Amino acid sequence: MTAVIETDALTKVYGNVVALDAFSHRFERSRIHALMGKNGSGKSTLVKMLSGVVQPSRGSMSLGGRSAVFKTPRDAFDANIVTVHQELSLVPELSVAENIFLGRMPRTTTLGVPRIHWKAAQTATRALLDTMGLDISPTTRVADLSVGQQQVVEIAKAMSFDPALLLLDEPTSALASKEVDMLFDLLRRLKDRGVTMMYISHRMSELAEIADTVTVLRDGHHIGSVEMAQSSNEDIIDMMFGDIARAKRPGRKTSIDAETPILSVRNLTRAHAFDDISFDLKRGEVLGIAGMLGAGRTEVLRAIFGADPYDSGEVIIDGEKADTANPRAMTALGLGYTPENRKEVGLVQAHSVHSNLSIANLPQIAPKGLINKRAEKPGVQRQIEQLHIKVDHADDPVSSLSGGNQQKVVIGKWLNTDPKILFFDEPSRGVDVHAKQQIFQIIWEQAERGLSSIFVSTELEELLEVCDRILVMKEGRLIGELDPAETTLTQLYSACMGEL
Amino acid sequence: MLLRVFRRYPMEIILVGMYIFLVFSAPGFATVDNQLNVLRNVTMQGIIAFGMTMIIISGEIDLSIGSGVAFSGCVTAWVTRELSPMLGPYPAIALGAVAAMTLLFFIGVMTGKLRQHFNMPSFITTLGLLTVLSGAANLITGGFPITSFPYEFNFLGSGFLFGIPFPVYIFVAVFGIVYFLMNFTSFGRAIYAVGGNLEAARLSGIDVWRTKTLALGITGIFTAIAGVLIASQILSGSASAARGWELDVISAVIIGGTSLFGGKGAVRGTLIGVLFLGVIVNGMTLLNVSEYWQLVVRGMLIIAAVLMNHALDRQTQK
Repeated sequence: MTAVIETDALTKVYGNVVALDAFSHRFERSRIHALMGKNGSGKSTLVKMLSGVVQPSRGSMSLGGRSAVFKTPRDAFDANIVTVHQELSLVPELSVAENIFLGRMPRTTTLGVPRIHWKAAQTATRALLDTMGLDISPTTRVADLSVGQQQVVEIAKAMSFDPALLLLDEPTSALASKEVDMLFDLLRRLKDRGVTMMYISHRMSELAEIADTVTVLRDGHHIGSVEMAQSSNEDIIDMMFGDIARAKRPGRKTSIDAETPILSVRNLTRAHAFDDISFDLKRGEVLGIAGMLGAGRTEVLRAIFGADPYDSGEVIIDGEKADTANPRAMTALGLGYTPENRKEVGLVQAHSVHSNLSIANLPQIAPKGLINKRAEKPGVQRQIEQLHIKVDHADDPVSSLSGGNQQKVVIGKWLNTDPKILFFDEPSRGVDVHAKQQIFQIIWEQAERGLSSIFVSTELEELLEVCDRILVMKEGRLIGELDPAETTLTQLYSACMGEL
Repeated sequence: MLLRVFRRYPMEIILVGMYIFLVFSAPGFATVDNQLNVLRNVTMQGIIAFGMTMIIISGEIDLSIGSGVAFSGCVTAWVTRELSPMLGPYPAIALGAVAAMTLLFFIGVMTGKLRQHFNMPSFITTLGLLTVLSGAANLITGGFPITSFPYEFNFLGSGFLFGIPFPVYIFVAVFGIVYFLMNFTSFGRAIYAVGGNLEAARLSGIDVWRTKTLALGITGIFTAIAGVLIASQILSGSASAARGWELDVISAVIIGGTSLFGGKGAVRGTLIGVLFLGVIVNGMTLLNVSEYWQLVVRGMLIIAAVLMNHALDRQTQK
């Protein structure tokens, strides 16, 4: 078989980090190649090099036997490598035809006046959609299509460039399962027509269904490439994670009070987000929630905290039913929430570290609306010292801090409210290794002091390292509970895939 | 060192510089009478500008205040005319003033509620209200000023107390109130937080809509106070009073360094902005600069002030 693209010792180095190390592989024509690996494995680096976004430090690529050097995304595009990104790039107010021919609408002249040849655009679009077996009208506004149909139009647009290689970056992340089926039908038809595809996804079950081969990367190394039909999911997960040494948390000094839960959630449900969620959080416990992206972890946390509404169910805090679900009321009940998108909604970036640290505890430092500066200042100083927030002066803007220090400010603002329960949503995202360990240390110390917390992370190793107990979510439902001490990474990953 | 002081107090230093220049070059500028005159002239708009500072920092705006001033003057004059025969003039005036303040407070609250429940930008709501209130003022007066006030009422807007124009006391009091609210209360903190990042403020347990709504409502009260003072000054309720004030007031806030995007600013800056505009108008008049040129200069000043604040911001971020 001929290879459509071949890499030879392809290497990318950022500073002193080797993102991808001597990757050599042949991707054969007319097949769907899955690319797998956890975050930081090097798969996005590989995709970026293939699409010309970054240039290799060493090694080479060849396309159809000829050497290929991509200095810009344009070069890759001209070599017929087309990428369909995770986020849609369509203009919602324009029609399907206008989107497909965006910036290159066919032209004609009427009485010497140049104009867009609408009819030709529509005919060409119709023909393109027909060959792909799609029943979408070229004149429909993209905004009127379902997300699944939009994704399909995106692929049709990519196909209009007649690609030699189609790179699909998590194309199903926003799709419902029915729409995924439609997309897969399309991908199979394209394969039959000889299109080569590279498919990136975290969803194991999808790969078994759609991919022919799977290439696994781990920590920048090419672990192997196998035929999908001849390998089990366990094999692939083992390849992804290997038998890495697991960081261990220090032993607990205090025991968890298992008798009376501090937080009970009963049958919490919101249509299309999460369904019938029930669990207890014990006093002093660090409870993890594992699950793939889009499993509904963040949605559940936000609903409990009152940031978003829920349709039905109950939240009971310390034996008391929480009736008004809004952040203000929940904060008063002793709840705190450090959001996953810290930069956007965790902090007021333009304001000082000082005012960010005393934004959540206003009811405490200003019980009658009047700020008691003598009560405020020690809180600010205490968090800066105890959380080791690196800042010259408390009046410096929080935007001047590193990601890790910003995260500590978010945590500090909640610790200042003296909470009973704190939710940590992806606290290690965008944070360096050192700060990450400091943050885990803070979580453990607070747990020893009796704070109960829920910890959510996409990084499964972190869950095993940090938590006392782990709940597993999939597609908006709780599907299991694990003891991190007796769970391997492979088992946890399989559990998240729904293969307990 | 000198540069650092300038960075910290740019408008203050420019104001002092301009002041010194006018003392030496503008005939009659440095007299006590003229100084008091400047002060009196800035008070009415200043009172509203302090409230507007809260609104703008909270991330909203109020474009209706010009009509609000006229409307509240007319309401006060109308109530005075209707109720004086029954209650006597002063209780009637007091009732009218309270009615105007209450009305404008609730109109501000309504603007906030429309923003909360229908995501209606305050820009649009208050732009509509600018016309609505102007129309309402004309409906109340029937197109002619209502001259129902006794002459002694003129004291409020034009009188002196201990040698200082009476409105200046109110101006100082309102400044004190807003300064206190913004710097010493959780409401003030909430205003900054809400304007700086609405969602972060909400997720920190702040009642974001109550904060914005209250800022709009309080400024309504200030607008009504200015309306009563103007009515007292001209001894009538006139629908054409204070036309175009919204732009002067917003200019003063911006010149004072408050960001139109919300979250940043200070009422101390607005005080400087208000004085700055008052001094420059007075100075140009004394220097015989034509009114048309005054408009051109004032407009350019707004642009220059914002440019300078941006430049200084970028410097401090480095």
